[in-house]
Amino acid sequence: MEKKHQIHLIVNGELYDLLVRPNRTLADLIRNDIGLTGTKKGCDQGDCGACTVLANGKVVNSCLVLAVEMDGASVITIEGLQQGHDLHPVQEAFVEKGAIQCGFCTPGMIMTTKALLDENPCPSQADIKHYLEGNLCRCTGYVKIIDAVNKAADLLK
Amino acid sequence: MKSFEYIRPNSMGEAFQALGAYDNPFVLAGGTDLLVWMKRDVHVPECVVDLKGIPDLNSIRYEDGFRFGALTTVREVETSLLVREKIPTLCEAAGSLGSVQIRNRATIGGNLCNASPAADMAAILLALDAEVTVASPKGEKMVPLNEFFAGPQQTVLAKEEVLSEITIPTATEACKGVYLKHGPRKAMDIGTVNIAILLDADSESHCCNQIRISLGAVAPTPMRAGEAEALAQGKTLTPEVIREVAETAAGEANPISDFRASADYRRELIKGLVAKGISKILENGRT
Repeated sequence: MEKKHQIHLIVNGELYDLLVRPNRTLADLIRNDIGLTGTKKGCDQGDCGACTVLANGKVVNSCLVLAVEMDGASVITIEGLQQGHDLHPVQEAFVEKGAIQCGFCTPGMIMTTKALLDENPCPSQADIKHYLEGNLCRCTGYVKIIDAVNKAADLLK
Repeated sequence: MKSFEYIRPNSMGEAFQALGAYDNPFVLAGGTDLLVWMKRDVHVPECVVDLKGIPDLNSIRYEDGFRFGALTTVREVETSLLVREKIPTLCEAAGSLGSVQIRNRATIGGNLCNASPAADMAAILLALDAEVTVASPKGEKMVPLNEFFAGPQQTVLAKEEVLSEITIPTATEACKGVYLKHGPRKAMDIGTVNIAILLDADSESHCCNQIRISLGAVAPTPMRAGEAEALAQGKTLTPEVIREVAETAAGEANPISDFRASADYRRELIKGLVAKGISKILENGRT
């Protein structure tokens, strides 16, 4: 039996101290060991972006990160965006623009949108499409999602 | 994923020890290829050796040519102002790999060591005449990138060898370049055919001073089209010459037929894309 590792990481501002197997992905840690199920597993191989979280400020596919690699890291999931009852502006924009149908891609889309606008507060339409390439949606056809990103950019100014 | 031991060495020496202590160890950099292989049971390592705890493997330096630490992420290359200034085509190629999420983790070293014939960083780095530093318990040696790949998913690295650095000589800095990655999707795909071209041609006469043509996904390894390059060298790049160069490049390739395309179609793509790439560079004068 392989050795387990004690890891410490901050998720949405809270410190977690966990004993994990090496083959535990960050996605499974977040969903099952911490209980935050907003982060979704779509493909489990880095193609769909449903598992997108911010790790040390950068968007990553949490299904392709081992939990043990995140010892000492700070992770933000979709649950970490809202402040109490107030939605984050990116979340508000998605709701307002009708960019949510089944909602499965939405947490990943929102995390990626937040990362985009953190890096580039005034993205062009091409910038938006390029940045969101790693997030697939099977419901909406993306038009309203792009509307939401534009709206979020306005709200955040 | 099957279970495995995880080791995070703090130095290269500790990494070599870990690699030597197991029969079937695998090096972990960004994990965006390795973890996918492991989830599919294609690779089933006893031990995964995470290099990210070793200092000085992630840096971009320019001292008479670029020196990239092997753990420099593809995103870091894509967004580096220094790289954009000196070799914009390298940024372009980096930006075509996967998604932002993937590029934030994927590393140049990892892309080379995974050794897909379609590897995006491999194609452009091959055109740039890159060399890699291979570190081992015996010391360090430099290996030209065109001697690094042995076959699909195979490199010349021995079990206790680690790719630590990638260097690019300055000889190609006068060139303008283009990276063309052809596939059924605009993003998130492995290239059906990848072409990297670096060209230094006179802007008036279109006389070719220097050309590098690199082809991906059309041979067991990424490759340079040496005959096509020799053909173009010193010639005026008229449409006829460009067509001949492109056809020669297609003849040098050795593509397979797979679910992405037939070998014949890949050869057609090479002809079209090499011609398009050269024309684009001549037209734009810049990347």
